[in-house]
Amino acid sequence: MEIKNKAAAGTLESSDIYVVVEPNENGIDLHLESIVYNQFNEEIEKAVRDVLNDFNVENIKIQLKDRGAVECAIRARVETALKRAGGVNS
Amino acid sequence: MSYEVFYEEYGYPMKGKKLEKLIEFLNEEQLTYDEGIEFTVNLVDSRGKIAATGSLEGKILKCIAVSCSFQGEGLAAKIVTILISHAISKGHSHLFLFTKPDNINIFIDLGFYVIAETEDAVLMENVKNGILDYANSLKPQCAYEDTGAIVLNCNPFTNGHLYLIETASKQCEFLHLFVVSEDKSIFPSDIRYELVNKGVSHLNNVVVHPTSDYLISTATFPTYFIKDKFKAGNINCLLDLKIFCEYFAGILNIKKRFVGTEPFDKVTAEYNLEMKKVLNEYDIDVIEINRLEANDAAISASLVRKLLVEGDYEKIKSMVPEITYDFLISDEGNKIKEKLRS
Repeated sequence: MEIKNKAAAGTLESSDIYVVVEPNENGIDLHLESIVYNQFNEEIEKAVRDVLNDFNVENIKIQLKDRGAVECAIRARVETALKRAGGVNS
Repeated sequence: MSYEVFYEEYGYPMKGKKLEKLIEFLNEEQLTYDEGIEFTVNLVDSRGKIAATGSLEGKILKCIAVSCSFQGEGLAAKIVTILISHAISKGHSHLFLFTKPDNINIFIDLGFYVIAETEDAVLMENVKNGILDYANSLKPQCAYEDTGAIVLNCNPFTNGHLYLIETASKQCEFLHLFVVSEDKSIFPSDIRYELVNKGVSHLNNVVVHPTSDYLISTATFPTYFIKDKFKAGNINCLLDLKIFCEYFAGILNIKKRFVGTEPFDKVTAEYNLEMKKVLNEYDIDVIEINRLEANDAAISASLVRKLLVEGDYEKIKSMVPEITYDFLISDEGNKIKEKLRS
């Protein structure tokens, strides 16, 4: 899937995650901030990369501001952002 | 515990009664409504009273307030989310935020980072190390001891600017030129940048940078772009000067800042005055260079614009470098003339 435009999904509210995606030229540029970074940064990043993989996204700039979202919420927010950025109706 | 339900009220920007209500609410929170605002969102409670509000001007989030009876319920997060989403839909992802020093922590929690702080205002951005990375990217290949800087708008580039740059370049070993990137002047920023860049190519100790959003931009120095509404006294340039000193001067080792004397423009004159005070605290010299004169009048970009409206190309020719003159008589230059006339 190709990232065609900037898009966002989620909120900055507690227990949610805010995802911003942008086109990128070479590879996956991932920036994660989280209130539980020290405890869960690897798990969160793995979940995000899984979703990118599922959608065959190879070039993307993705910024995540996590405020303690559970994994299914993280996956859902990333998926929505990707669909919005790829011009797919969600 | 009962939960209040809030309605979202949007304005592009707010008008009429809604605007009055918003201004009143902001005043209660010791904030003033800014003229340039393009988008506002309010959270309104079931009785129709504003519980929280926030606004957007381009890439800047401002006038964010939560009524004291609803603080601590996460309304700021709701407001900021809506503002960011709106900004992204307009194509802005690098965002800035104005707030009061007391509220810094709320916005740090929401993913913003402090750029600079004064007694009554803080400027933040949503990119970690955004300004540090930018200033570092401007570092020259080798280190110079005696480094100077000039920040200019060049609307358009004149012999006055060239004279200032040439004089300054003789008074230091290496000179950084910052051309204002904010696109609020009649000459588009890429053209202003290009004219300066080509116009100084004969000087080998001078390098030209765009200011990005960090110097003389709507984020750092809003008053600069609303000069006609300026009232004496408070031009709010302290953030801008602090950013110059703490990031650009610090990282690029700038010891001198050159400015032209300012006989016409009140905002620039006051900015220069304030500059001396602030830069001295950081041990940076402000060096004023007298303006170049032509036909017994100081050359200024505003004069060139005036002559352009009158179509007096002969006089203009004596006041601008060839590169600018060539641009002014081109088709693109003509379009700008028509825009100035209307």
